[in-house]
Amino acid sequence: MGMMLLLLGWNNSLAQNGKLIFTPHWIPQAQFAGYYVAVDQGFYKDNGLDVDIVHSTANIASLDLLKNGDADIVSSFMLDAIEQRANGVPLVNIGQLSQHSSLMIVTKRKSGIDTYQKLHTKKLGIWSNGFEDVPLAFMQEHGIKMDLIRILQTVNLFLMDGVDALLVMYYNEYDQINNCGIDEDELNTFFFSDFNLDIPEDGIYCMEESLKSKGSAYAGFLKATLKGWEYASEHREYALDLVIGEMNKAHLPNNRVHQRWMLEKVLAMMEPGKKKVMKGQLLKLDFERAMEVFKMAKGTQGYQTFGYEQFYHPSAKGLK
Amino acid sequence: MNRNRLSFKIIVRVLLFCFILGGSIFTIYYLFARKTIERESRENAIHLAESTVYKIEEIINPAEMIPGNLAWIIENNTLSRDSIYAFLRQLVRNNKSVFAAAIAFEPYLFSQERYAFAPYAYRSGDEILNRDLWSPAYNYFIMDWYQIPALLRKPYWSEPYFDEGGGGVLMTTYSVPFYTNTNNSRVFTGIITIDISLEWLTEIVNSVKIFETGYAFLISGNGVYVTHPNASHIMNQTIFTYAKEVNEPVIREIGRDMIGGESKLSNVNLKEMGNVWIYHTKIPSSKWSLGVVYPHREMYAGLRSLNIMIFLLSVMALTLLTIVTIRIINRQIRPLSRFAKAARNIAGGNFDTELPVVEENHEMKELHDSFRYMQEELANYIADLKETTSAKEKIESELRIARGIQIDMIPHIFPPFPNLPEIGLYASLESATEVGGDLYDFFPIGDDHFCFAIGDVSGKGVPASLFMAVTITLIRSMSDKNRSCSEIVQSVNKTLTINNESNMFVTLFVGILNLQTGELQYCNAGHNPPVLLNCDREPLMFRNTKAIPVGIFGEIDYCNETMILDPSDQIFLYTDGITEAEDADKNLFGEAALMKALTENRDKSPKELTDRVKQSVKEFVNGHMQSDDITMMCITYRGKNGNKIK
Repeated sequence: MGMMLLLLGWNNSLAQNGKLIFTPHWIPQAQFAGYYVAVDQGFYKDNGLDVDIVHSTANIASLDLLKNGDADIVSSFMLDAIEQRANGVPLVNIGQLSQHSSLMIVTKRKSGIDTYQKLHTKKLGIWSNGFEDVPLAFMQEHGIKMDLIRILQTVNLFLMDGVDALLVMYYNEYDQINNCGIDEDELNTFFFSDFNLDIPEDGIYCMEESLKSKGSAYAGFLKATLKGWEYASEHREYALDLVIGEMNKAHLPNNRVHQRWMLEKVLAMMEPGKKKVMKGQLLKLDFERAMEVFKMAKGTQGYQTFGYEQFYHPSAKGLK
Repeated sequence: MNRNRLSFKIIVRVLLFCFILGGSIFTIYYLFARKTIERESRENAIHLAESTVYKIEEIINPAEMIPGNLAWIIENNTLSRDSIYAFLRQLVRNNKSVFAAAIAFEPYLFSQERYAFAPYAYRSGDEILNRDLWSPAYNYFIMDWYQIPALLRKPYWSEPYFDEGGGGVLMTTYSVPFYTNTNNSRVFTGIITIDISLEWLTEIVNSVKIFETGYAFLISGNGVYVTHPNASHIMNQTIFTYAKEVNEPVIREIGRDMIGGESKLSNVNLKEMGNVWIYHTKIPSSKWSLGVVYPHREMYAGLRSLNIMIFLLSVMALTLLTIVTIRIINRQIRPLSRFAKAARNIAGGNFDTELPVVEENHEMKELHDSFRYMQEELANYIADLKETTSAKEKIESELRIARGIQIDMIPHIFPPFPNLPEIGLYASLESATEVGGDLYDFFPIGDDHFCFAIGDVSGKGVPASLFMAVTITLIRSMSDKNRSCSEIVQSVNKTLTINNESNMFVTLFVGILNLQTGELQYCNAGHNPPVLLNCDREPLMFRNTKAIPVGIFGEIDYCNETMILDPSDQIFLYTDGITEAEDADKNLFGEAALMKALTENRDKSPKELTDRVKQSVKEFVNGHMQSDDITMMCITYRGKNGNKIK
């Protein structure tokens, strides 16, 4: 614990110098293009920040790094953050980037599963590390029971017909399937957003207590990040160059076609759509629906309860 | 060169033909060569792909047997649990293609105390180490290499991956489910895997060389490039992302066929490489697929350079051919224009014109000889012609003289007897040829008789004219006071018949008019009957006699006939040249037309009358050639002492 405090203190001192460690919640990919752009374009520096992007891995979640004090600020899937908060980790949302859900279930058209009712009793490939709340809530709301097959991350089991349906992100695995030679018209899709489960996903989180000392730095971070995303949207090929560079640095297989798809879809999710929301803002309605989903998926027992105001601390002015 | 010249035309035609012939031969050759190259390339592509697959399978197949054998060993309890690590290490050591091997157990199936156990032996440098794969951070139950064969209960070749522990080399894992027999039932117990480095695979595929830019490539079951000449594609791109990146939907289709395990040859047009053959075939063990790309551009490159060479040679050959043809043809036909010039000279009468010299013995020589022959024949002919012409001219001149003599033999001064007021007379003779056989004559006998005769000798020309001359001489000599017309005719007949070997004869009308009385005695030996005219009466034709012409039979009696002429009576005598004058349609003038002309002009003087009749005949024949002599004589009896002069 002494070490932890020392580490935190060290971090604090860095933060005071404008140094921030930011950890995206997955390996480098176009999902985080805005952050790379903000660094490369010096938007963080313009706000007096020295941001270091340290990626999490498949084995260690960004929220764990935040909890451990290895990161000042992280991005995370909102329902994962809610779970952490319900588990007593005092983290707060300081900006919500994605306003929509990209989670979906795909089936092969040849399987004949073309309505959600037919998903009943079928095998669903689902990640072992999170993202299960929405599908669980979906099943509960529609009275469907599915055989959940936990998988690590590839779509291979689905391609080999080891499962009937697969939980995927529209911006990622859906395109991966397509990139393995399955045409879009060979797939049936079930977007959760079409089932009143349009739960926002990627947001920016920090520990509540760090707000006091680093609040202004976080505000600068959010502002520069939003600017980075805006710039990425306007200069997509440039943003993709940065993404590919990051992926190469991490020795990750990559191709521009897939990253371009991802960038487009991630940018689309940041648009308000029909929601009356500003960029970076978390709607109370969305938070409350997410809490409902969490409770449906996980129950309430053993979890702390908290409200919108406790969870959401908009660091940028005018977002509330 | 003049475009109208024969040499130009021959050269153009010859060259055109050569061009078409050459073009046709070249086209046939090109299509045939192209087809052959195409067929061979296609066969090569298939053969190359299949032999590469065979090489790959030669390595994979033995490796594929390892987990199967191991599964059998475990299932039959021949492997003691304590020696698992040692066994695995030995297995890796003994199989060079195997980088690592593992036996991963289902939860609690290795032992009831152990949730998970996955003994694993692997190469590390020259050593072979071992460890348990399981850790909370490495939950192998959800790893593809375990989960997929475990769920599908069948062997599984993993997607290729870069193994960080193995020095970042490209690897694949082959997983086989294994079973144990518990309580007489076969229970799925776990997965046996071997990791195989794919370096050898890359080497095999990369060693395939197809021209300059052709290549072979290998994709995994997901379409991921396992080998590709462009290293950045390997493990980064699938064939489908590549298809999207270069916007070639056809590549996506090929990719789908490939991961579908099809063997197929496709001819596709790629933006980067142009037309290419792509043949792909599956690798039976791993279900991966190998493709070979044959670029047309290079496939036909040899043919193309050959074509350029042939084209250049053809151009050179054609140029050479043109020059040589021009020279040969010009040389061969140059004499022709000289012949033409010579012909013109010859035509101009210069028969001594020098002919072009032709040395070789061919058609030109023949032409030369023919020209020479023509030249000589023409010269001869012209010489003959000159001779003939002069002979003809001589004859013509003689004939002209003969005609003069003949004309001189018949009286041709009118009025003939100005001192004979009782008689008005006019006669005319027009020969069809230079000399004719018609005759007329008149002369007084004593003081009061007037003899006249008209005749027509059979035949024409000189014989007829001679016969006519004889006849007219005989008539003159036979006529005297004491002889009647018939006696005159008889005498003439007798004389003419003697020695008339050529059987000529003459129709003859002889009349003696008594100027005092107007009595006309006449004898008609087969001649056209004369016409009696008077302006107060219709013309009257003399009766036809049956007496035959003179000169045929000597002993024939001719008889006299008599009639009295009134003063102003006219006698119109003529030969058959009048009545048998023909127009172009062979219609004869005839007696009726004669009578009509005489009727219309009966009041005219003898000269006018004969002129009018001649005019009528002329109008009738309308320019048609006169075939017979036309002779007319008109005598007006004016009565005693010419009392009644018209």
